[in-house]
Amino acid sequence: MSKAIEYTYFPGCMIPFRLPHFELTMREVLRRLNIELIADEGHTCCPEPTTFTGVDYEAWLTVGARNIAVSESTGRDTMALCSGCFHTLSMVRYTLQSDNETRERLNKRLKRIGMIATGEVAVKNILHVLHEDVGLERIRKSIVQPLKNLSIAAHYGCHLVRPIEATHMDDAEDPMWMEDLIEVTGAKPVDYPDKMACCGAPISPSDESKSFVLAGEKLLKIRDAGADAIVLVCPTCYTQMEMQQKKAIEHLDPEFSLPILYLGEMMALAMGMSDLVVENARRYHRVKIQPLLEKMGVGK
Amino acid sequence: MNTDSLDTSRLMRNQFKLRFAKCELIDLTPSSVSSDLEFRNWILRQPEGKTLRRCYQCGRCTGACPIAEIDQSFNPRLFLEKVILADESLAENQLIWTCLTCEQCEVRCPEHVKIPQILILAKVRGLVAGNTPQTALDRARTILSEGRTIQVSDPMLKTRDKMGLPSLGSPPVKQLAEALKDLGLVEKLENIESIYGGDRDE
Amino acid sequence: MGDTVIVVGAGLAGIQVSHQLADLGLRVHLVEKEATVGGLSAHLGKVFPTDDCALCLDACEELFSGHHRRCQYRSLLGTQKKLSLHTLTEVRSIKHEGDKFSVSLKTTPRYVLLDRCVVCLECINVCDVEVPDELNLGRVLRRAVYRPIPQGVPLAPIIDMNSCTKCSKCVDVCKVDAIDLEQKCKTRTIKADAVVLATGVEESSPSVLPGYAYGHCEDVLTQRELGRLLDSAGPSNGKALTASGRQVGSVTMILCAGSRDLNAVEYCSRACCTYSLKHAIMLREQGVDVTICYMDLRVPTHSQSFLERARESDVTFVRGKPDHVVVREGSPVTIVEDTESQKRLEIESDLVVLASPLVPHAAEREVFNSFLDKYGFAARHNALKGIYACGTSTGANDIPGSVAEANSVALEVYMALKGGA
Repeated sequence: MSKAIEYTYFPGCMIPFRLPHFELTMREVLRRLNIELIADEGHTCCPEPTTFTGVDYEAWLTVGARNIAVSESTGRDTMALCSGCFHTLSMVRYTLQSDNETRERLNKRLKRIGMIATGEVAVKNILHVLHEDVGLERIRKSIVQPLKNLSIAAHYGCHLVRPIEATHMDDAEDPMWMEDLIEVTGAKPVDYPDKMACCGAPISPSDESKSFVLAGEKLLKIRDAGADAIVLVCPTCYTQMEMQQKKAIEHLDPEFSLPILYLGEMMALAMGMSDLVVENARRYHRVKIQPLLEKMGVGK
Repeated sequence: MNTDSLDTSRLMRNQFKLRFAKCELIDLTPSSVSSDLEFRNWILRQPEGKTLRRCYQCGRCTGACPIAEIDQSFNPRLFLEKVILADESLAENQLIWTCLTCEQCEVRCPEHVKIPQILILAKVRGLVAGNTPQTALDRARTILSEGRTIQVSDPMLKTRDKMGLPSLGSPPVKQLAEALKDLGLVEKLENIESIYGGDRDE
Repeated sequence: MGDTVIVVGAGLAGIQVSHQLADLGLRVHLVEKEATVGGLSAHLGKVFPTDDCALCLDACEELFSGHHRRCQYRSLLGTQKKLSLHTLTEVRSIKHEGDKFSVSLKTTPRYVLLDRCVVCLECINVCDVEVPDELNLGRVLRRAVYRPIPQGVPLAPIIDMNSCTKCSKCVDVCKVDAIDLEQKCKTRTIKADAVVLATGVEESSPSVLPGYAYGHCEDVLTQRELGRLLDSAGPSNGKALTASGRQVGSVTMILCAGSRDLNAVEYCSRACCTYSLKHAIMLREQGVDVTICYMDLRVPTHSQSFLERARESDVTFVRGKPDHVVVREGSPVTIVEDTESQKRLEIESDLVVLASPLVPHAAEREVFNSFLDKYGFAARHNALKGIYACGTSTGANDIPGSVAEANSVALEVYMALKGGA
């Protein structure tokens, strides 16, 4: 096998410490595709884009620019697994590229710590890497256990996709890359109304009940469309959809159960690494994924 | 008679100047500026805020907004109108923190106005008044002190180790502080009490 | 200086400029890609400012004096000696040679010979093939040999070879041997001294426009489609019916649906406010409730009366641009903020009608590219001397505006070719 392709891995906070099975499964999936993620200890919190921006936008830009500077010093493209991190880094990168005045102002601060950020090095999310860099054909070849019986709905999450000029995703209203990946694993992608509707997580600190209404509506729409599971990328959406589902069971429907899979888990299952998923299923999934595994014939 | 017409013309000239100043964003002298006008001009000077000049108040943002759908008092178009009319009470309105930043309004906006970003700028202006949810303040404090949004515990590190995931080291928080020192954020956060109340971040 | 002019497009502006130039003694070739003339106007039923049947407009100068009108099918288009009409004909290339233009034309077969057909329509009566009639939203059927627009000029039918079974019944029934199922494409080249683009606009399809459920719900229509419903020669004889055939009780109109929008068409289409008002008034005459959602109403002075009549007839106006249309129990519900009351409304109605932008036909064809701006519109005088444009090919416009421009361009062409100096 040729030398692995390397990306600088931007870890963030949620995935490595709260949901490490995200990182674990995706690292293994990428390894099968000859990709290595190299962490850099210089990175800090991105910072997260939903509350820190509203506390001090300038500080958000500065910390983000510092992380970009660390990434750029590695000479590799950077990949963030977390959608929040990706959003912050791609927004800051876009600002660095498009706004000279802000770039100079931020670099004045970075100069004090001996750094410089240009915005010239690519910031990618996992869909860029899988769908664009690796390509569906190569992934198809590594599928050994097609998820034939499963119907899966993709939830992209707002911050992975928008704003399109910074994220360089395929479409702001109807992105399709994740459906393409679902199809490659052998499962059936499920279309549902208001696919880009927000899961409600960003406002759970300020308005818990509204946050629940949004998540509940989304979960119902996906269930009514006939999905066996939801696949997603974002750790915040993941936590929200799992936590609010517990509430949905209390308030809406005691039978409600819609397993939430991380993209890396879905791909690992299709690539024959079900052990990796099963081992961590109990600990990291509040909504049981066992029925799903049984439907595809693993993990009894 | 004569003085009357003089006064009128002076008045008109002043009005014209004021209007001209608003359009061109020429900084008015501090004595003649209300704090609200400063708020409006500050927003319109920011790269994201500039896009507000294109707003023609069609209201599509409000039709698009998933929060407006469940709460009639949340009206993004009205928020933009307040900025245009230089009404800084917006920055102290708790409602702006129920913006999801989902950008559905911006996606649908016929003029590509950066609506969520403009609300973010308004949130920033409300910090000193305490119009920031407790969780957001706590998170910001943790980010500054730990370099992460969460406190990393030993079990977390052990789990990573067990899974064979690489060490991520400790974030260089001193360097972070040095880069941010001219912003005075640490000092600001020390003195702020949230008017929201509610739970602290875990 | 020669005196041959090619006019591309036989909509109202093209017809007008051709008549004027022929009257002034120039030799005119009027080239139309469709089987009949009239362009968009022929789809619209009644048209403003006179509320006449569009087919009854000959786009003549008498239009505005109101004394004398001619039907298109009685017009001089087919009889004027100096004017040759070429239907089903497209421009393949325009070459500039010295001070002349060599214009290559390609004519696709009608399969019905214009010089023989006496319009008895027996061929239509014997045809067994029935397909949905695209002009009428597919709600009624037409035959494989048919007239795309009733009373459209030329009056002879055309055969749609995509659905024709070549059973030859029409050939057998035709007593004047006017049907030739083996007719072939023809090309010819004409040397012209001037070319006038009157290529016009079409209503863009909102199917790519997110939010308004067009294509998902059959009761979300465009204004042109509503025009078909309200046309007394339309699929329901002028009655507003839903796709399921129910009498419509309420209609919500969305103006600027994809116009003045950086995500869609950036410019204002200029005619849609007025024809939306025209349709609103016609609906009110049938007792239908009408709500118009608008950002601002851009009604030209000569059509101001439509706004007044709409207000007098109790059309509801909501100032706000709707964001989306949801379908509840089969009916469309419009989500809009009423910016005056600052309330988010959910307007239930039987039909939602989108004022979809008018987009230039010329942009579809590479041959015109070098004459067009970024939106696909042409300048009235091209940088290349001898190339002119008028009507909606220079920008979306209403009929009076198009006709006025056609008149002015006719005089300019005449002055350039015959005016001496």
